[in-house]
Amino acid sequence: MSDNRVVVLGVGLVRFSRYPDKSAEDLGREAALAALEDAGIDFKDVEAGFYGRVERVVGAGMRTFGELGQHGIPVTNVEVACASSSRGALLAADLIRGGLYDVCMVIGVEKMERGMLGGGGEAGYQTQMGMFLLPGLYAMMAQRHMYLYGTKREHFAQVSVKSHRNGVLDPNAQYQKELTLEEILNSRMVADPITLYQCCPTTDGASSVILCSERYARQHTTRPVYLTAWAAGTPIYVSGESALAEGPTKVLADKVYNASGLGPEDVDLVQLHDAFSPGEVLGVEELGFCRPGEGGPFVWEGNTEINGKKPVNTDGGLLSRGHPMGATGGAMITEITRQLRGEAGPRQVRGAKVGLLHNAGIGGVNVMAFQV
Amino acid sequence: MTATQADEKPKRVVPLREGLFRIPTSPGEKPALIASRCPRCGEHFFPKRAICLGCGQVGLEEAYLTGPGKISTFTIARMTPPGSLIEAPYVIALVELPERVIVASVLSGCDVDSVRVDMPVELVLEKVKEDQEGNDVVAFKFRLT
Repeated sequence: MSDNRVVVLGVGLVRFSRYPDKSAEDLGREAALAALEDAGIDFKDVEAGFYGRVERVVGAGMRTFGELGQHGIPVTNVEVACASSSRGALLAADLIRGGLYDVCMVIGVEKMERGMLGGGGEAGYQTQMGMFLLPGLYAMMAQRHMYLYGTKREHFAQVSVKSHRNGVLDPNAQYQKELTLEEILNSRMVADPITLYQCCPTTDGASSVILCSERYARQHTTRPVYLTAWAAGTPIYVSGESALAEGPTKVLADKVYNASGLGPEDVDLVQLHDAFSPGEVLGVEELGFCRPGEGGPFVWEGNTEINGKKPVNTDGGLLSRGHPMGATGGAMITEITRQLRGEAGPRQVRGAKVGLLHNAGIGGVNVMAFQV
Repeated sequence: MTATQADEKPKRVVPLREGLFRIPTSPGEKPALIASRCPRCGEHFFPKRAICLGCGQVGLEEAYLTGPGKISTFTIARMTPPGSLIEAPYVIALVELPERVIVASVLSGCDVDSVRVDMPVELVLEKVKEDQEGNDVVAFKFRLT
Protein backbone atom coordinates (compact mmCIF):
# COMPACT_ATOMS: atom_id res chain seq x y z
CA MET A 1 0.00 0.00 0.00
CA SER A 2 2.80 2.44 0.81
CA ASP A 3 3.84 4.80 -1.98
CA ASN A 4 0.63 3.87 -3.70
CA ARG A 5 -1.62 5.99 -1.59
CA VAL A 6 -3.48 9.06 -2.74
CA VAL A 7 -3.19 12.23 -0.68
CA VAL A 8 -5.79 14.93 0.00
CA LEU A 9 -3.58 17.98 -0.53
CA GLY A 10 -6.17 20.72 -0.25
CA VAL A 11 -9.84 21.30 0.50
CA GLY A 12 -12.11 24.32 0.21
CA LEU A 13 -15.74 25.24 0.70
CA VAL A 14 -18.04 28.10 0.02
CA ARG A 15 -20.37 28.20 3.00
CA PHE A 16 -23.57 26.31 2.25
CA SER A 17 -26.28 28.94 2.11
CA ARG A 18 -28.34 30.92 -0.42
CA TYR A 19 -26.53 32.92 -3.09
CA PRO A 20 -29.11 34.57 -5.34
CA ASP A 21 -26.49 37.05 -6.61
CA LYS A 22 -23.76 34.55 -7.45
CA SER A 23 -23.55 32.20 -10.41
CA ALA A 24 -22.61 28.55 -10.13
CA GLU A 25 -19.32 29.50 -11.79
CA ASP A 26 -18.66 32.12 -9.08
CA LEU A 27 -19.29 29.56 -6.34
CA GLY A 28 -17.13 26.93 -8.01
CA ARG A 29 -14.27 29.36 -8.56
CA GLU A 30 -14.33 30.54 -4.93
CA ALA A 31 -14.24 26.98 -3.59
CA ALA A 32 -11.42 26.08 -5.98
CA LEU A 33 -9.35 29.11 -4.94
CA ALA A 34 -9.81 28.14 -1.29
CA ALA A 35 -8.63 24.59 -2.03
CA LEU A 36 -5.60 25.85 -4.01
CA GLU A 37 -4.65 28.11 -1.12
CA ASP A 38 -5.09 25.25 1.34
CA ALA A 39 -2.91 23.02 -0.87
CA GLY A 40 -0.32 25.74 -1.46
CA ILE A 41 -0.15 25.12 -5.22
CA ASP A 42 -1.09 27.04 -8.37
CA PHE A 43 -3.94 26.10 -10.65
CA LYS A 44 -1.42 25.47 -13.41
CA ASP A 45 -0.08 22.56 -11.34
CA VAL A 46 -3.45 20.79 -11.74
CA GLU A 47 -3.34 18.12 -14.45
CA ALA A 48 -6.97 17.03 -14.65
CA GLY A 49 -10.29 18.36 -13.45
CA PHE A 50 -13.57 16.73 -12.41
CA TYR A 51 -16.76 18.69 -11.96
CA GLY A 52 -19.62 17.33 -9.86
CA ARG A 53 -23.05 18.78 -10.48
CA VAL A 54 -26.56 17.48 -10.95
CA GLU A 55 -28.62 20.19 -12.63
CA ARG A 56 -27.80 22.30 -15.71
CA VAL A 57 -24.52 20.48 -16.13
CA VAL A 58 -23.90 20.83 -19.88
CA GLY A 59 -20.54 22.52 -20.43
CA ALA A 60 -20.51 23.76 -16.83
CA GLY A 61 -17.32 21.98 -15.80
CA MET A 62 -15.32 23.43 -18.65
CA ARG A 63 -16.71 26.90 -17.94
CA THR A 64 -15.87 26.72 -14.24
CA PHE A 65 -12.36 25.31 -14.65
CA GLY A 66 -11.92 27.83 -17.50
CA GLU A 67 -12.48 30.63 -15.01
CA LEU A 68 -9.44 29.47 -13.07
CA GLY A 69 -7.15 29.32 -16.09
CA GLN A 70 -6.68 27.68 -19.42
CA HIS A 71 -3.69 25.39 -19.67
CA GLY A 72 -5.48 22.73 -21.60
CA ILE A 73 -6.23 20.10 -18.96
CA PRO A 74 -8.97 17.50 -19.49
CA VAL A 75 -12.13 18.41 -17.59
CA THR A 76 -14.91 15.88 -17.07
CA ASN A 77 -18.42 16.43 -15.77
CA VAL A 78 -19.45 13.76 -13.27
CA GLU A 79 -23.12 13.27 -12.48
CA VAL A 80 -24.10 10.62 -9.92
CA ALA A 81 -27.00 12.58 -8.45
CA CYS A 82 -26.22 13.46 -4.81
CA ALA A 83 -22.94 11.50 -4.94
CA SER A 84 -21.40 13.41 -7.86
CA SER A 85 -18.33 15.13 -6.40
CA SER A 86 -17.24 12.16 -4.29
CA ARG A 87 -17.44 10.08 -7.47
CA GLY A 88 -15.28 12.74 -9.14
CA ALA A 89 -12.75 12.28 -6.34
CA LEU A 90 -12.87 8.50 -6.79
CA LEU A 91 -12.14 8.82 -10.49
CA ALA A 92 -9.28 11.22 -9.77
CA ALA A 93 -7.92 8.78 -7.18
CA ASP A 94 -8.09 5.91 -9.70
CA LEU A 95 -6.02 7.95 -12.15
CA ILE A 96 -3.48 9.04 -9.56
CA ARG A 97 -3.06 5.53 -8.20
CA GLY A 98 -2.74 4.31 -11.78
CA GLY A 99 0.18 6.69 -12.25
CA LEU A 100 -1.43 8.80 -14.95
CA TYR A 101 -1.47 12.09 -13.03
CA ASP A 102 0.13 13.58 -9.95
CA VAL A 103 -2.44 16.31 -9.23
CA CYS A 104 -6.20 16.37 -9.87
CA MET A 105 -8.85 18.84 -8.77
CA VAL A 106 -12.52 18.19 -8.07
CA ILE A 107 -15.06 21.01 -7.96
CA GLY A 108 -18.62 20.31 -6.81
CA VAL A 109 -21.36 22.91 -7.20
CA GLU A 110 -25.11 23.27 -6.94
CA LYS A 111 -27.60 26.09 -6.98
CA MET A 112 -30.96 24.65 -5.99
CA GLU A 113 -34.50 25.91 -6.29
CA ARG A 114 -36.56 26.14 -3.15
CA GLY A 115 -39.11 23.49 -2.28
CA MET A 116 -39.39 19.80 -2.72
CA LEU A 117 -37.44 18.29 -5.60
CA GLY A 118 -39.82 17.56 -8.46
CA GLY A 119 -39.82 14.73 -10.96
CA GLY A 120 -38.25 16.76 -13.74
CA GLY A 121 -39.78 18.53 -16.73
CA GLU A 122 -42.09 15.94 -18.27
CA ALA A 123 -44.68 14.62 -15.85
CA GLY A 124 -44.06 10.87 -15.79
CA TYR A 125 -46.40 8.24 -14.41
CA GLN A 126 -44.69 8.17 -11.00
CA THR A 127 -44.88 11.95 -10.71
CA GLN A 128 -48.56 12.10 -11.67
CA MET A 129 -49.35 9.31 -9.22
CA GLY A 130 -47.73 11.23 -6.36
CA MET A 131 -44.96 8.70 -5.98
CA PHE A 132 -42.03 10.95 -6.88
CA LEU A 133 -41.56 11.86 -3.25
CA LEU A 134 -37.91 11.51 -2.24
CA PRO A 135 -38.50 11.53 1.53
CA GLY A 136 -41.09 8.82 0.81
CA LEU A 137 -38.37 6.39 -0.27
CA TYR A 138 -36.52 6.86 3.01
CA ALA A 139 -39.82 6.83 4.89
CA MET A 140 -40.66 3.41 3.47
CA MET A 141 -37.24 2.09 4.46
CA ALA A 142 -37.84 3.54 7.93
CA GLN A 143 -41.29 1.94 8.21
CA ARG A 144 -39.89 -1.46 7.23
CA HIS A 145 -37.14 -1.00 9.82
CA MET A 146 -39.74 -0.09 12.46
CA TYR A 147 -41.74 -3.20 11.57
CA LEU A 148 -38.75 -5.57 11.60
CA TYR A 149 -36.82 -4.21 14.58
CA GLY A 150 -39.17 -2.04 16.61
CA THR A 151 -37.25 1.13 15.78
CA LYS A 152 -39.06 4.22 17.07
CA ARG A 153 -39.75 7.51 15.34
CA GLU A 154 -37.79 9.25 18.13
CA HIS A 155 -34.71 7.31 17.04
CA PHE A 156 -34.86 8.84 13.57
CA ALA A 157 -35.63 12.30 14.93
CA GLN A 158 -32.63 12.09 17.27
CA VAL A 159 -30.38 12.02 14.18
CA SER A 160 -31.61 15.48 13.33
CA VAL A 161 -31.22 16.73 16.92
CA LYS A 162 -27.57 15.70 16.82
CA SER A 163 -26.92 17.04 13.31
CA HIS A 164 -28.34 20.45 14.15
CA ARG A 165 -26.32 20.61 17.36
CA ASN A 166 -23.18 19.90 15.30
CA GLY A 167 -24.20 22.48 12.72
CA VAL A 168 -23.99 25.18 15.39
CA LEU A 169 -20.28 24.39 15.67
CA ASP A 170 -19.66 24.59 11.91
CA PRO A 171 -19.20 28.06 10.38
CA ASN A 172 -19.85 26.55 6.91
CA ALA A 173 -23.22 25.04 7.84
CA GLN A 174 -26.40 26.41 6.30
CA TYR A 175 -28.31 26.06 9.58
CA GLN A 176 -26.57 26.98 12.81
CA LYS A 177 -29.48 26.54 15.16
CA GLU A 178 -30.22 23.82 17.67
CA LEU A 179 -33.56 22.04 17.45
CA THR A 180 -35.14 20.01 20.24
CA LEU A 181 -36.53 16.52 19.77
CA GLU A 182 -40.03 17.95 20.25
CA GLU A 183 -39.49 20.67 17.63
CA ILE A 184 -38.33 18.06 15.14
CA LEU A 185 -41.11 15.56 15.87
CA ASN A 186 -43.75 18.33 15.83
CA SER A 187 -42.59 19.98 12.62
CA ARG A 188 -44.81 19.39 9.61
CA MET A 189 -45.21 15.71 8.69
CA VAL A 190 -43.94 15.09 5.15
CA ALA A 191 -43.92 11.30 4.72
CA ASP A 192 -44.60 9.30 7.85
CA PRO A 193 -42.37 9.02 9.99
CA ILE A 194 -40.27 11.79 8.39
CA THR A 195 -41.12 15.33 9.45
CA LEU A 196 -39.87 18.49 7.72
CA TYR A 197 -36.90 18.95 10.08
CA GLN A 198 -35.77 15.45 9.23
CA CYS A 199 -35.34 16.42 5.56
CA CYS A 200 -32.23 18.11 4.18
CA PRO A 201 -32.88 21.68 3.03
CA THR A 202 -32.33 23.00 -0.48
CA THR A 203 -29.03 24.81 -0.62
CA ASP A 204 -26.49 26.67 -2.77
CA GLY A 205 -22.84 25.90 -2.25
CA ALA A 206 -19.58 24.65 -3.64
CA SER A 207 -16.71 22.44 -2.57
CA SER A 208 -13.31 21.67 -3.98
CA VAL A 209 -10.79 18.93 -3.29
CA ILE A 210 -7.24 18.59 -4.58
CA LEU A 211 -5.87 15.06 -4.66
CA CYS A 212 -2.27 14.17 -5.46
CA SER A 213 0.16 11.30 -5.54
CA GLU A 214 2.17 10.38 -2.48
CA ARG A 215 5.33 11.32 -4.36
CA TYR A 216 4.01 14.80 -5.13
CA ALA A 217 2.72 15.22 -1.58
CA ARG A 218 6.16 14.62 -0.10
CA GLN A 219 7.37 17.81 -1.80
CA HIS A 220 4.30 19.90 -1.04
CA THR A 221 2.95 19.11 2.39
CA THR A 222 4.02 18.07 5.84
CA ARG A 223 0.51 17.14 6.95
CA PRO A 224 -0.79 14.61 4.42
CA VAL A 225 -4.21 13.05 4.82
CA TYR A 226 -4.22 9.76 2.94
CA LEU A 227 -7.10 8.39 0.92
CA THR A 228 -6.23 4.73 1.43
CA ALA A 229 -9.15 2.80 -0.03
CA TRP A 230 -12.31 3.51 -1.98
CA ALA A 231 -15.13 1.72 -3.74
CA ALA A 232 -18.10 2.77 -5.83
CA GLY A 233 -21.18 0.91 -6.97
CA THR A 234 -24.82 0.74 -7.95
CA PRO A 235 -27.66 -1.49 -6.68
CA ILE A 236 -27.27 -5.26 -6.80
CA TYR A 237 -30.43 -7.12 -7.84
CA VAL A 238 -31.92 -9.47 -5.28
CA SER A 239 -35.11 -11.24 -6.32
CA GLY A 240 -38.24 -10.24 -4.43
CA GLU A 241 -36.57 -7.95 -1.96
CA SER A 242 -37.49 -4.39 -1.10
CA ALA A 243 -34.12 -3.06 -0.05
CA LEU A 244 -33.49 -1.29 3.23
CA ALA A 245 -30.77 0.75 1.58
CA GLU A 246 -30.09 3.25 -1.15
CA GLY A 247 -27.55 1.11 -3.01
CA PRO A 248 -24.94 -1.48 -2.03
CA THR A 249 -23.37 0.32 0.92
CA LYS A 250 -22.55 -2.82 2.90
CA VAL A 251 -20.77 -4.48 -0.03
CA LEU A 252 -18.73 -1.35 -0.69
CA ALA A 253 -17.88 -0.86 2.98
CA ASP A 254 -16.59 -4.44 3.15
CA LYS A 255 -14.45 -3.81 0.06
CA VAL A 256 -13.00 -0.68 1.62
CA TYR A 257 -12.33 -2.41 4.95
CA ASN A 258 -10.60 -5.29 3.17
CA ALA A 259 -8.50 -3.05 0.95
CA SER A 260 -7.39 -0.80 3.80
CA GLY A 261 -6.91 -3.47 6.46
CA LEU A 262 -9.27 -1.45 8.66
CA GLY A 263 -12.37 -2.63 10.43
CA PRO A 264 -15.41 -0.69 11.61
CA GLU A 265 -13.83 -0.60 15.08
CA ASP A 266 -10.89 1.45 13.70
CA VAL A 267 -13.08 4.27 12.34
CA ASP A 268 -12.86 7.47 14.42
CA LEU A 269 -15.42 9.54 12.53
CA VAL A 270 -17.92 9.14 9.73
CA GLN A 271 -19.43 11.32 7.05
CA LEU A 272 -22.68 9.61 6.14
CA HIS A 273 -25.45 10.38 3.66
CA ASP A 274 -28.31 11.68 5.83
CA ALA A 275 -30.48 13.36 3.19
CA PHE A 276 -33.30 12.21 5.45
CA SER A 277 -32.88 11.15 9.07
CA PRO A 278 -33.35 7.37 8.53
CA GLY A 279 -30.18 7.52 6.41
CA GLU A 280 -28.01 7.57 9.53
CA VAL A 281 -29.91 4.80 11.36
CA LEU A 282 -29.63 2.50 8.34
CA GLY A 283 -26.11 3.66 7.49
CA VAL A 284 -24.47 2.88 10.84
CA GLU A 285 -25.70 -0.70 10.43
CA GLU A 286 -24.50 -1.09 6.85
CA LEU A 287 -21.10 0.39 7.64
CA GLY A 288 -20.74 -2.22 10.40
CA PHE A 289 -20.81 -0.01 13.51
CA CYS A 290 -23.68 -1.98 15.03
CA ARG A 291 -25.69 -5.07 14.15
CA PRO A 292 -28.63 -4.98 11.70
CA GLY A 293 -31.67 -3.63 13.52
CA GLU A 294 -29.69 -1.85 16.24
CA GLY A 295 -29.21 1.44 14.38
CA GLY A 296 -32.07 3.16 16.20
CA PRO A 297 -30.86 2.54 19.76
CA PHE A 298 -27.25 3.09 18.59
CA VAL A 299 -28.11 6.65 17.57
CA TRP A 300 -30.51 7.23 20.47
CA GLU A 301 -27.86 6.32 23.06
CA GLY A 302 -25.51 9.00 21.73
CA ASN A 303 -22.93 6.83 19.97
CA THR A 304 -22.90 9.09 16.91
CA GLU A 305 -22.34 12.33 18.86
CA ILE A 306 -19.00 14.14 18.50
CA ASN A 307 -17.90 12.73 21.85
CA GLY A 308 -19.58 9.36 21.22
CA LYS A 309 -18.09 6.05 20.14
CA LYS A 310 -18.61 6.66 16.43
CA PRO A 311 -19.11 10.36 15.63
CA VAL A 312 -21.27 10.84 12.53
CA ASN A 313 -21.61 14.05 10.53
CA THR A 314 -19.60 16.25 12.87
CA ASP A 315 -20.20 19.22 10.53
CA GLY A 316 -23.99 18.99 10.70
CA GLY A 317 -24.37 16.57 7.81
CA LEU A 318 -26.78 17.01 4.95
CA LEU A 319 -29.56 17.83 7.43
CA SER A 320 -27.90 20.92 8.93
CA ARG A 321 -24.78 21.75 6.91
CA GLY A 322 -27.00 21.54 3.83
CA HIS A 323 -27.04 19.47 0.67
CA PRO A 324 -26.23 21.34 -2.54
CA MET A 325 -26.23 18.04 -4.38
CA GLY A 326 -23.13 18.32 -6.56
CA ALA A 327 -21.08 19.87 -3.74
CA THR A 328 -21.92 17.44 -0.96
CA GLY A 329 -19.29 14.75 -1.58
CA GLY A 330 -16.52 17.34 -1.61
CA ALA A 331 -17.87 18.85 1.62
CA MET A 332 -17.73 15.41 3.23
CA ILE A 333 -14.09 15.02 2.18
CA THR A 334 -13.39 18.53 3.47
CA GLU A 335 -14.76 17.75 6.94
CA ILE A 336 -12.88 14.46 7.24
CA THR A 337 -9.66 16.15 6.11
CA ARG A 338 -10.02 18.96 8.65
CA GLN A 339 -10.81 16.48 11.42
CA LEU A 340 -7.82 14.27 10.59
CA ARG A 341 -5.55 17.33 10.49
CA GLY A 342 -6.90 18.40 13.89
CA GLU A 343 -8.31 21.63 12.42
CA ALA A 344 -11.97 21.16 13.29
CA GLY A 345 -12.02 23.56 16.23
CA PRO A 346 -14.98 23.16 18.62
CA ARG A 347 -16.26 20.06 16.77
CA GLN A 348 -12.89 18.29 16.77
CA VAL A 349 -12.97 14.55 17.44
CA ARG A 350 -10.00 14.06 19.75
CA GLY A 351 -7.21 11.96 18.34
CA ALA A 352 -9.04 11.19 15.07
CA LYS A 353 -6.87 9.03 12.79
CA VAL A 354 -9.38 7.28 10.51
CA GLY A 355 -12.37 8.78 8.71
CA LEU A 356 -14.97 6.96 6.61
CA LEU A 357 -17.13 8.58 3.93
CA HIS A 358 -20.47 7.33 2.59
CA ASN A 359 -22.22 9.33 -0.12
CA ALA A 360 -25.28 8.07 -2.03
CA GLY A 361 -27.28 9.33 -4.98
CA ILE A 362 -30.29 7.49 -6.48
CA GLY A 363 -28.56 4.16 -5.94
CA GLY A 364 -25.03 5.24 -6.85
CA VAL A 365 -22.86 4.91 -3.74
CA ASN A 366 -19.28 5.85 -2.87
CA VAL A 367 -17.40 4.69 0.23
CA MET A 368 -13.92 6.05 0.98
CA ALA A 369 -11.44 5.60 3.84
CA PHE A 370 -9.08 8.38 4.92
CA GLN A 371 -6.17 8.05 7.34
CA VAL A 372 -3.35 9.99 8.92
CA MET B 1 -64.82 16.02 -38.53
CA THR B 2 -67.50 18.39 -37.25
CA ALA B 3 -67.98 19.39 -33.67
CA THR B 4 -71.26 17.51 -33.58
CA GLN B 5 -69.60 14.24 -34.46
CA ALA B 6 -66.93 14.74 -31.80
CA ASP B 7 -69.62 15.35 -29.19
CA GLU B 8 -71.29 12.08 -30.06
CA LYS B 9 -68.14 9.99 -29.52
CA PRO B 10 -68.79 7.58 -26.63
CA LYS B 11 -66.87 8.14 -23.42
CA ARG B 12 -63.99 5.68 -23.12
CA VAL B 13 -61.76 4.41 -20.35
CA VAL B 14 -58.11 5.09 -21.19
CA PRO B 15 -54.94 4.32 -19.22
CA LEU B 16 -52.84 7.12 -17.69
CA ARG B 17 -49.93 5.41 -19.41
CA GLU B 18 -49.93 2.66 -22.05
CA GLY B 19 -48.16 -0.59 -21.34
CA LEU B 20 -48.46 -0.63 -17.55
CA PHE B 21 -51.78 -2.36 -16.93
CA ARG B 22 -54.62 -4.09 -18.75
CA ILE B 23 -58.13 -2.67 -18.54
CA PRO B 24 -60.80 -5.43 -18.34
CA THR B 25 -62.89 -5.67 -21.50
CA SER B 26 -65.46 -8.20 -20.32
CA PRO B 27 -67.40 -8.64 -17.08
CA GLY B 28 -65.59 -10.84 -14.59
CA GLU B 29 -62.15 -10.09 -16.03
CA LYS B 30 -59.72 -8.81 -13.44
CA PRO B 31 -57.40 -5.86 -14.02
CA ALA B 32 -53.78 -6.92 -14.46
CA LEU B 33 -50.34 -5.38 -14.40
CA ILE B 34 -48.40 -5.93 -17.61
CA ALA B 35 -45.14 -7.53 -16.55
CA SER B 36 -42.26 -9.50 -18.03
CA ARG B 37 -41.45 -13.14 -17.36
CA CYS B 38 -38.09 -14.70 -18.09
CA PRO B 39 -38.54 -17.83 -20.23
CA ARG B 40 -35.23 -19.19 -18.92
CA CYS B 41 -35.32 -18.69 -15.12
CA GLY B 42 -38.96 -17.75 -14.51
CA GLU B 43 -38.24 -14.43 -12.80
CA HIS B 44 -40.97 -11.77 -13.12
CA PHE B 45 -40.53 -8.00 -13.48
CA PHE B 46 -42.81 -5.00 -13.31
CA PRO B 47 -42.79 -2.71 -15.16
CA LYS B 48 -41.77 -4.58 -18.30
CA ARG B 49 -38.11 -4.79 -19.15
CA ALA B 50 -36.04 -6.22 -21.98
CA ILE B 51 -33.36 -8.17 -20.12
CA CYS B 52 -33.67 -10.50 -17.11
CA LEU B 53 -31.98 -9.16 -13.97
CA GLY B 54 -31.72 -12.69 -12.60
CA CYS B 55 -29.95 -14.53 -15.42
CA GLY B 56 -29.28 -11.99 -18.18
CA GLN B 57 -31.68 -13.54 -20.71
CA VAL B 58 -32.40 -11.10 -23.53
CA GLY B 59 -35.99 -11.15 -24.70
CA LEU B 60 -38.65 -11.71 -22.04
CA GLU B 61 -42.27 -12.86 -22.39
CA GLU B 62 -45.21 -10.68 -21.49
CA ALA B 63 -46.98 -11.80 -18.32
CA TYR B 64 -50.01 -10.53 -16.41
CA LEU B 65 -50.03 -10.06 -12.66
CA THR B 66 -53.41 -9.91 -10.97
CA GLY B 67 -52.41 -10.20 -7.30
CA PRO B 68 -53.36 -10.47 -4.53
CA GLY B 69 -50.51 -8.78 -2.73
CA LYS B 70 -49.38 -7.80 0.72
CA ILE B 71 -47.82 -4.59 1.99
CA SER B 72 -44.06 -4.91 2.37
CA THR B 73 -43.69 -1.33 3.58
CA PHE B 74 -45.46 2.01 3.17
CA THR B 75 -45.52 5.68 4.04
CA ILE B 76 -48.26 8.23 4.47
CA ALA B 77 -47.61 11.15 2.14
CA ARG B 78 -48.75 14.25 4.04
CA MET B 79 -47.63 16.74 1.40
CA THR B 80 -48.66 16.64 -2.25
CA PRO B 81 -45.50 16.59 -4.38
CA PRO B 82 -45.24 18.80 -7.50
CA GLY B 83 -47.10 17.41 -10.51
CA SER B 84 -49.17 14.88 -8.56
CA LEU B 85 -52.79 14.13 -9.49
CA ILE B 86 -53.30 12.53 -6.08
CA GLU B 87 -53.94 14.84 -3.13
CA ALA B 88 -52.33 14.26 0.27
CA PRO B 89 -52.85 12.53 2.58
CA TYR B 90 -52.49 9.21 0.79
CA VAL B 91 -50.50 6.03 1.29
CA ILE B 92 -47.62 4.95 -0.94
CA ALA B 93 -46.79 1.29 -0.48
CA LEU B 94 -44.40 -1.33 -1.75
CA VAL B 95 -46.65 -4.29 -2.49
CA GLU B 96 -45.27 -7.81 -2.71
CA LEU B 97 -47.00 -10.04 -5.27
CA PRO B 98 -47.02 -13.87 -5.35
CA GLU B 99 -44.55 -13.80 -8.27
CA ARG B 100 -41.95 -12.18 -5.93
CA VAL B 101 -42.35 -8.83 -7.63
CA ILE B 102 -42.32 -5.63 -5.56
CA VAL B 103 -44.63 -2.94 -6.96
CA ALA B 104 -44.65 0.66 -5.79
CA SER B 105 -48.22 1.92 -5.73
CA VAL B 106 -50.65 4.32 -4.17
CA LEU B 107 -53.31 2.69 -2.00
CA SER B 108 -56.92 3.33 -2.93
CA GLY B 109 -58.98 5.43 -0.52
CA CYS B 110 -58.55 4.18 3.03
CA ASP B 111 -58.03 5.40 6.55
CA VAL B 112 -54.36 6.25 6.11
CA ASP B 113 -53.61 5.77 9.80
CA SER B 114 -54.91 2.20 9.79
CA VAL B 115 -52.35 0.86 7.29
CA ARG B 116 -49.79 -1.67 8.55
CA VAL B 117 -47.04 -3.83 7.06
CA ASP B 118 -48.23 -7.29 5.91
CA MET B 119 -51.85 -6.21 5.25
CA PRO B 120 -53.40 -7.98 2.22
CA VAL B 121 -54.28 -5.84 -0.81
CA GLU B 122 -55.90 -6.30 -4.23
CA LEU B 123 -55.24 -4.59 -7.55
CA VAL B 124 -57.80 -2.02 -8.70
CA LEU B 125 -58.07 0.56 -11.48
CA GLU B 126 -59.33 4.02 -10.57
CA LYS B 127 -60.15 7.19 -12.44
CA VAL B 128 -57.52 9.86 -11.75
CA LYS B 129 -58.70 12.54 -14.20
CA GLU B 130 -60.64 13.22 -17.40
CA ASP B 131 -58.81 13.91 -20.63
CA GLN B 132 -59.72 16.72 -23.06
CA GLU B 133 -62.23 14.47 -24.84
CA GLY B 134 -64.03 13.66 -21.61
CA ASN B 135 -62.69 10.12 -21.35
CA ASP B 136 -61.99 8.61 -17.92
CA VAL B 137 -58.23 8.32 -17.44
CA VAL B 138 -57.48 5.44 -15.06
CA ALA B 139 -54.41 4.32 -13.13
CA PHE B 140 -53.74 1.24 -11.04
CA LYS B 141 -53.78 1.28 -7.26
CA PHE B 142 -54.00 -1.36 -4.56
CA ARG B 143 -56.86 -1.55 -2.09
CA LEU B 144 -56.92 -3.05 1.40
CA THR B 145 -59.01 -6.26 1.44
